[in-house]
Amino acid sequence: MIQSVVQLRGITKTYRIGREITVNALRGVDLDVRPAEFLAIMGPSGSGKSTLMNVLGCLDVADGGTYVLAGENVNKLSDDKLASIRNKHVGFVFQTYNLLSRLNAIENVELPLIYGGDRRARRERALAALEQVGLGDRIHHRPSELSGGQQQRVAIARALLNDPSMILADEPTGNLDSRSSAEILAIFQRLNDIGKTVVMVTHEPDVAAHCKRVVRMRDGLIAHDELVPNPRRAEDELTVGIGASG
Amino acid sequence: MKLYDSFRSALQSLVVNKLRSALTMLGVIIGVAAVIAMVSVGNGASQSVQNTILNLGSNLVTVTPQNATDQGLRGAGAQAQSLTVDDMRSIQEQLGDTIIAAEAEQQAGRWQVTAAGQNWNTTVSGVTEDYPIVRDWGVDSGEFFSTSDLNVNAQVAVLGSTTAVNLFGDVDPVGQTIQLRQAFGGGGGQGAAAQRARILNFRVLGVLGVKGSTFGQIRDDQILVPLTTAQHVLTGQLNRVNQIVIKATSSETMDITTSDVNNILLQRHDIADPASADFAVTNQNDTLAALSSVTGTFTLLLGAIGGISLLVGGIGIMNIMLVSVNERTREIGIRKAVGARRADILNQFLIEAVALTGLGGVIGILLGWAITEVVHRIPQAASLPLLITSGTVIIAVGVSVAIGVVFGLYPAMRAARLHPIQALRYE
Repeated sequence: MIQSVVQLRGITKTYRIGREITVNALRGVDLDVRPAEFLAIMGPSGSGKSTLMNVLGCLDVADGGTYVLAGENVNKLSDDKLASIRNKHVGFVFQTYNLLSRLNAIENVELPLIYGGDRRARRERALAALEQVGLGDRIHHRPSELSGGQQQRVAIARALLNDPSMILADEPTGNLDSRSSAEILAIFQRLNDIGKTVVMVTHEPDVAAHCKRVVRMRDGLIAHDELVPNPRRAEDELTVGIGASG
Repeated sequence: MKLYDSFRSALQSLVVNKLRSALTMLGVIIGVAAVIAMVSVGNGASQSVQNTILNLGSNLVTVTPQNATDQGLRGAGAQAQSLTVDDMRSIQEQLGDTIIAAEAEQQAGRWQVTAAGQNWNTTVSGVTEDYPIVRDWGVDSGEFFSTSDLNVNAQVAVLGSTTAVNLFGDVDPVGQTIQLRQAFGGGGGQGAAAQRARILNFRVLGVLGVKGSTFGQIRDDQILVPLTTAQHVLTGQLNRVNQIVIKATSSETMDITTSDVNNILLQRHDIADPASADFAVTNQNDTLAALSSVTGTFTLLLGAIGGISLLVGGIGIMNIMLVSVNERTREIGIRKAVGARRADILNQFLIEAVALTGLGGVIGILLGWAITEVVHRIPQAASLPLLITSGTVIIAVGVSVAIGVVFGLYPAMRAARLHPIQALRYE
């Protein structure tokens, strides 16, 4: 049996709002993500998908259950250990891009290497990652000089840099027009084609239709978990190849 | 995270907020400049005081009369009359080559002086022949009186340079005659009325070199006469001196000389218990030590005033770092998401604060140096030697860096403790 990238067993998470009210965001989630999967997590607001995403990304720690990420049990790790895990195993892509406005594209991409991994050849690797997302000619642009789609591509390049076990994308197309969305999805699909594991949180069925597997959340539990028979190819929706426009 | 990256990142964020960084730094700049300038003025003042003391002659041991104590009670009233010129001669004889010279002095009070139609009022002192050696103060023209002048109570005088100019103007005073009359109500002593009526002629032997003033006393305005002349002709207080001054061979031998003099005088005055001595021996080292403790306190006070402004500057740093941490909450979240540990974030903000204060410190030193240069050009302070020592500079930089650490620590810790999710959600 192929080892899972992600193995969640009975994950629970409770938030306390004020003194009295508690919210059971996750109520015992079991989930396996295998290598080279392209998984969409869907669900209405309050279904717990954001919490699940945070737990998956090791930004937050579950109250109960076990979480094994790339063979490593990350249940009760310290903050600093979690930071190392994020650095090594998780590449984040956020809805709002979350680039540092002071830094130019290549400096933003280099960021994970500042905090860990191989420090040698930092610049070369950042350049390679930017070329992979079709931004090899924009490396010295600041985020404010780039379009939304381009900024998200810089963010993807940053996520790729430490060769993580999983790319975790939170509504990556939420702020983009349909053409830029298609471009971003095309990049994810291409990365998935070469063996990258991608987990994407979305509430748009159109976007989820590009994934190989869709998990639907409801009330802190996984309600449906199904494979997509024929995922749509984002490249087909673009008249021009990716990376040629912005 | 390597230090190089932290430094780069810190400098980048300082450059992005140029105006804010500059204003924040200004607090530290002013603080450091104040410390540098104030301490250099303080150091200069103590140096100036020291120079003044040494201006009186160097390596001096001074004996002054003191009322004897009896069972812990010290007689009150006028200065005791316990020292004689024989005490001085005895010291001279017994110490011989172990000292450079010794002299005795008697103040003869203020006198009205006339010469060539000019009128002047000044102090007259009787001194012995080695005065120029002891005081490092020779004559500019003419000569000083000799032992033979003392032996015959010669009515000869050596003038201070100011006195000479006031009495004779451009004329060379050497060989001229001056007339002394006791100023009205001054001097005192028995037979004062008779002396007042008398005009005493003195021949000018020489004029002293220019010495300047000591503690506000203009030392160039005085007349020196042989001690014996002062005793027999001016005051009538025979064989009595106000102080004996001994010049030791060096600063190191001063203490030995002091105890030698003490022993000689105790023996001569037939006093068994040193505590009830009728004289006091002080040496210049003691005086310098006492004064340097005063000026040291003065310097410390000035430094403290500068230090307070440095403290205020440090609080400014803390304030701006807190604002900066708040503003960059999202950045902290992003950095944490891509793997920054607490220590990485802590270092980043700490280095930023230290860079601010360190740079401020360097600029402050330059500014402080500039201030002392300006102070130096103010006429009233021109004589004040201003000293910026390497110690001051090292302390100022060290303190400003320490302030960066101390006042940057709390904001940096707040940044490091932020939870990544909350930081990322922060708008």
